[in-house]
Amino acid sequence: MNRRQFLRKSFIYSALGSVYASTIGRMPLFASRSIRSGAGNYDLVAVRGGEVVEMYRRAMKEMGGMEKYVRPGQTVALKPNASWDVPPERAANTNPDLVAAIVEDCLGAGADRVLVFDNTCDNWERSYENSGVAAAVRRAGGQMLHAHMERYYKEVSIPGARRLTSAKVFDRLRESDVFINVPVLKHHGSTTVTIAMKNLMGVVWDRRFWHRNDLHQCIADFCLYRKPDLNIVDAYLVMTRNGPRGTSEADLTRMRSLLVSSDIVAVDAAGAMLLGHQPNDIGHLRIGAEMNIGTTNLDALNIQRVVL
Amino acid sequence: MRTAHLKKIRLVISLLFFFALLFLFLGIQVQPFSTLADILLRLQFLPSLLRFFAIFFSITALGFILVMILSLLFGRIYCSGICPLGTFQDIVIAIARRLKPKKKRRFHFTSNRKRILRYGVLSATIIFWVSGSMFLVNLLDPYANFGKLSASLFQPAYIWLHNALAFSLERFDVFILSPMTMHALPWDVVLISTAIFLTIVVMAAWRGRLFCNTLCPVGSILSIFTGKPLYQITFSDEACTFCSRCEWVCKAECLNSKTRHVDHSRCINCFNCLASCPNEGIRYAVPPKREKTLHQGEEGSGKRQFLMMLASGILSIPLISKPARPQGMSKPGMIPVESQKPVTPPGSLSHKHFTGHCIACYLCVSACPTKVIVPSFFEFGLEGFMQPKLDYHKNFCNYDCVKCTEVCPTGAITKQSEEEKKRIRIGEVRFLAESCVVTADRTDCGACSEHCPTKAVRMVPYEGGLFIPEIHPELCVGCGACEYACPTEPFKAIYVTGLPVHKEAVPIDDADGPREDDTDDFPF
Repeated sequence: MNRRQFLRKSFIYSALGSVYASTIGRMPLFASRSIRSGAGNYDLVAVRGGEVVEMYRRAMKEMGGMEKYVRPGQTVALKPNASWDVPPERAANTNPDLVAAIVEDCLGAGADRVLVFDNTCDNWERSYENSGVAAAVRRAGGQMLHAHMERYYKEVSIPGARRLTSAKVFDRLRESDVFINVPVLKHHGSTTVTIAMKNLMGVVWDRRFWHRNDLHQCIADFCLYRKPDLNIVDAYLVMTRNGPRGTSEADLTRMRSLLVSSDIVAVDAAGAMLLGHQPNDIGHLRIGAEMNIGTTNLDALNIQRVVL
Repeated sequence: MRTAHLKKIRLVISLLFFFALLFLFLGIQVQPFSTLADILLRLQFLPSLLRFFAIFFSITALGFILVMILSLLFGRIYCSGICPLGTFQDIVIAIARRLKPKKKRRFHFTSNRKRILRYGVLSATIIFWVSGSMFLVNLLDPYANFGKLSASLFQPAYIWLHNALAFSLERFDVFILSPMTMHALPWDVVLISTAIFLTIVVMAAWRGRLFCNTLCPVGSILSIFTGKPLYQITFSDEACTFCSRCEWVCKAECLNSKTRHVDHSRCINCFNCLASCPNEGIRYAVPPKREKTLHQGEEGSGKRQFLMMLASGILSIPLISKPARPQGMSKPGMIPVESQKPVTPPGSLSHKHFTGHCIACYLCVSACPTKVIVPSFFEFGLEGFMQPKLDYHKNFCNYDCVKCTEVCPTGAITKQSEEEKKRIRIGEVRFLAESCVVTADRTDCGACSEHCPTKAVRMVPYEGGLFIPEIHPELCVGCGACEYACPTEPFKAIYVTGLPVHKEAVPIDDADGPREDDTDDFPF
């Protein structure tokens, strides 16, 4: 092969490759930006009575702004709940507008990249798209990541864990500087509630192991691997029965609430109370407090309550 | 009119059609191939014929009639243009030609004595079919075989390549390609698909379109209609110089340049002969009226032979004993399980309808986004040879997905809207409380109920503040999400058994919207 042939061939193959990629590829990636800031020093902020994004902006202002959590140039891992192939109005997944607002905020704070992923329960493509989360992330300039194959997960050990001493964890999470957890508040058939702690089941590959080895203990154990820097709980539309997937909109209550905290146990305790439970009645919350992952004693915390 | 360029037209059309169907099976959606594939799927002979019986007088099921009319007018253009396996063989023939030494590249006329094999196979296929067994249809139909090769050999190869590219791009933080999930194909299915692949490749490389004129039931049916088509390959007594070039390129080996005779029942209208002739000694035209010749008499006896065989075969139907209904596998386990019946796709109405219409082309297998539809070998007995089923160890049937009902060309899976599909009960849940994590380990689990889209499995209070599954079969659509999610090993504590006749589920009451909660206070 002479140089001319080489050049011609490489041109043809790269042209073919880009045609293939552009016709079959599905995930474009571009960014847009916005900036805001505020001040505050609370352990937990609870907002009630507004629209989703409005409540989020107010809560972050009270928390001191995203700049407090995200430094310029950092990579942010965002874990919403996008597990179910149901539309946003069924509230089985995190509100897509909330996810978009957070992505924009992170980029506004100077984040290099915002990576969003979930190891879904239903088919991943349908869940990503029909939950509205993938479209929201694209719109906001974040990057939706593939998380549907075992190769994206790497075995890590979890020091101090009682049952879940090791797990295959989403590898890009390990590489990220900031970890933001964005669950939706829901009833759950077996763990009673699913909020921030339970949402982390979508970060690992093998969930069956958790189910077989004392689910509540495993949920608590996993928080020892890496606690999210920020937990933002969507409690606008709340599934109060038939969770976590729900069967219809009749399962929902419009609570118009939102919780933010860096303490994953405390934010879950507040969420559980919104659903009418005592935090220590929920297995993984009680264990979480017992293992000093966080606290269920909300009276001891500096809580900012806002009604819009 | 010059007809030598007909070969080029045939080449373009057949390649376009071939890639349309190949892309469909590989899951590549690019226009205009996707639209072409939809049309082409309706023209596949046996799928369309079966669809005619499955969905009476559906306009989408009339493709086979169009094909028969085309054959009466133009000969077996189906075999060279529409049939994907035909074009696949042509590709093999073209490659083999390049590899062969020059002297061995020529084809030679063979007499039509093998008719007995051809019509024998066809009769046997029809007899099996009439007696309720799809065994020979599924083994021999060209479209079904193309599907089998695509789903079990070509698609895995394609996915592997696509993923290799996707993964290397991801390394550079480029996420434009979505890696695809490889389906887990049973080894016996891969084995038989490989055997079919090798058989077809060897036959084509050795003797051209031998498969089409011996084993292929569609080729044999069409040959009955093409003894004397309106347009045919004819010699010009003035221009032909007996040079034999046409015979050497005849893939069907049906052209005798010495006697200037063409066996139209075997001619697949590839038009190679037209292109090979240096001086228009052979043409594609309406032949002038002639006296009945010896050759035409020969063809007539072929028809008679076939009808005799078919009649004697049909008389012997009662002698063929029907294979036993599928019993399903029995699962020994931590707890003995009663027999589990196979689950057929939503819209397949019943095991009887499904096994009677499915030709095992595996288009549903290729198209299924969750890859829960997998080929089986003898799961449905001899009559349902190689037909697919749902395997809940691999995945579960996505509640809102109707993909398989949209693609099935034979009507084995009838089309369903999303709302209709959500009410179809393809199977029924069974629960073995003694095997469950909750009773055995005394810890919470609920993986089954979590995944259940209809709450046919729900968690109810159990001893010690725990929750245990409770099943409501009347709500169960048989999607298998519970069985897939159940973490007990090696055998599941909750599983789905197929319903031999699909039923309708009790509808979910979704009349109410969300309740409003206007409290402006916090409980903490």
